Amino acid sequence: MRTRLITLIVAAGALLGGAVAIGQDRPQPPAPTVQSPPPGGQQAAPPGADPGQLVVDVTGGRRAPMPIAIPYMPTPSPTGTAAGNTALLGQQVADIIANNLRNSGLFSPVGPRGLPGVSFPQVTAPDFAAFAGTGAQALVQGFVQANGNGTLTVGCYLYDVASRSELARQGFVVQPAQWRRAAHKCSDVIYTRLTGEGPYFDTRIVYVSETGPTRHRIKRLAIMDQDGANHRFLTNGQSTVLTPRFAPNQQTIAFMSYESNRPRVYIYDVGSGRTRPLVAEPHMTFAPRFSPDGRWVIFSMAVNGNTDIYRVPVSGGRPQRLTTSPGIDDGGSYSPDGSRIVFESDRGGSQQLYVMNADGSNQRRISFGSGRYGTPAWSPRGDLIAFTRISGSFRIGVMAPDGGSERILSNGPLDEGPTWAPNGRVIMFSRGNGQIWSVDITGMAMRRVPTPLGASDPSWSPLRD
Amino acid sequence: MMDRARATGFGVSAAGHVVLLVILSVALARAAIPPPPSDAIEVSFVDRIGLTSAAPDPSPVPPEQGQAPDLGPIEDAAPTAAPEPAPTPPAARQADVAPSPERARRQPAQAQPSPSRDRPERQRQGSEGSGERTRRSLLGPDLLRGIGRDPSPSRDNRRQAATMSAEAMADIAAAIARQVQPCADRQVIPGPGAERIRTAINLRLNRDGSLAAPPRVTGQTGIDAENRRYAARVADLAIATFVGCAPLRGLPQELYDVPRGWSNFTMNYSLPG
Repeated sequence: MRTRLITLIVAAGALLGGAVAIGQDRPQPPAPTVQSPPPGGQQAAPPGADPGQLVVDVTGGRRAPMPIAIPYMPTPSPTGTAAGNTALLGQQVADIIANNLRNSGLFSPVGPRGLPGVSFPQVTAPDFAAFAGTGAQALVQGFVQANGNGTLTVGCYLYDVASRSELARQGFVVQPAQWRRAAHKCSDVIYTRLTGEGPYFDTRIVYVSETGPTRHRIKRLAIMDQDGANHRFLTNGQSTVLTPRFAPNQQTIAFMSYESNRPRVYIYDVGSGRTRPLVAEPHMTFAPRFSPDGRWVIFSMAVNGNTDIYRVPVSGGRPQRLTTSPGIDDGGSYSPDGSRIVFESDRGGSQQLYVMNADGSNQRRISFGSGRYGTPAWSPRGDLIAFTRISGSFRIGVMAPDGGSERILSNGPLDEGPTWAPNGRVIMFSRGNGQIWSVDITGMAMRRVPTPLGASDPSWSPLRD
Repeated sequence: MMDRARATGFGVSAAGHVVLLVILSVALARAAIPPPPSDAIEVSFVDRIGLTSAAPDPSPVPPEQGQAPDLGPIEDAAPTAAPEPAPTPPAARQADVAPSPERARRQPAQAQPSPSRDRPERQRQGSEGSGERTRRSLLGPDLLRGIGRDPSPSRDNRRQAATMSAEAMADIAAAIARQVQPCADRQVIPGPGAERIRTAINLRLNRDGSLAAPPRVTGQTGIDAENRRYAARVADLAIATFVGCAPLRGLPQELYDVPRGWSNFTMNYSLPG
């Protein structure tokens, strides 16, 4: 079900403006101002320095999670809603934000438990002194308010503790059933403002849920929020399913199913729950992926013992063959601009990565390390390609689209099938022990993604509307 | 058996060794013992020097001495408390106080105000003044200008060479960097490539070292396709670095608002690679 989120960049502030008295009479240090850096930013050094001025050079910083204080969020008046009392929701929203930021590996949240309480008027006039002793460099405050029309407003404010200045504010109006999404949206505001990265918390994961003994494994499609909440199964487990992939519109999922013992690619509509085969051809089809514009699906099809990559409109039709080499061409993944495709092929004798234009032209190999490479996934940012490297063990790595700058991010022994967060900063993958893990592209923040049962083949959704 | 000559030679040799030993011992005792190496001292490596004089337009001589623009008319000094008069013969006292005819003629002319100044003429009475004459003060509003041990013959009004030398500039820059370094070290590197971004912020300080105006980002260099997303965040970190450790302490007051002084300066901030 599509959720309507009304973003109130300024409205939340205006809403509070009438109800919250800001301590105008309290002496405040001058608020920092940031000018937009000049375009290009490649002028001669030192930048912006008056030649007649004293110039001080300072270099400093550290690679560590950023301490950030997240107290419980107050409510102007405790009100019962379909999602619970607004006072309790304020606590839960703060917990979700702290959990999200902690899981990113880039933050070390302080609180919410143990932090000083925040009154509703203090949301826009923080008592910075109360948080100075926590060591936090940033402060997140907000509120949860029940509106007269049955909706909830979640206000989200981000402050810099050192300069005592406001860095960001945003408000979200949601239906009570979607209150967790407001917490994720707030997390995205904070994450984006403090890291410069794109948002990714308000997303979902579709994956293969596994249960039962190895020889009679039941594999079902399942979907959940990126933090594991709102989990539900999409298929009943009568047929084994593999490799689910989200469409850019998030309403469609392509996957492979062994239904009727005919392994082929199906298209699943999340809204209606209906499933249909992608193509009518009788051959085995697998490894589907959508094009960034959502109009095409590329997949592999085995015809007369030769597996090649094809593409077809999402609505179906006659597949167009993109590769023709003997051997297995598999696992295609579009570049974010849709102009190129990375795929794996054993045409050279071993499984390696290749890149071609979207029409199949200009095919060239990009992986040359020892061992084999498979399951490539082009970053939504476009700067990296994630892959599984098979060299003694199965490990996750990334490389530039030209094959350079290869880095291995996981230690295996059975890590495979990477999928990108929509911001291109985080990768999720399967582990051989039936678990899903995620890792930052710096290699930090390796963590297990909670699932109720065994799990494999994750696919990260785009950012939700 | 040792013959006589060998015994003599042996004796001379032994005596010579003893003498040599005594000489060397005395010399060793007198020799100056080199001082132990001193402890390591902290030095600053200065990569920026003042290639131009600290004075923008230096003058070789002290500036012109200050003087009031208008030499005022001669006035009576302020009245002073008259001492208790000793009893004297009235005739003699009268003769002392009475102005001589010559002084009486000159006084009105000197007390006459210049026609261009609208100044009420003061009524002089014998009881108001001390009877002594003086000029108005020569001290103008620029009292201390050009003060020196000797009167300056100069007519030059340019500022004499200021005291912000290259060394002083380096010292102040190092002192500021030392004070904000702990706050720089607290900043978190946002992502790969952010260390290539260099941010310049303009800082205006009060004399007490506090911020007189909000820090202002004046430029960034080193931005490329990979790290562009971090540029705004690095600008935040530059400001947080300074604000977090403000106000500054212990900077020399005399170098506050001289050219290149610390009242208004630039801080370049970057993350470690």
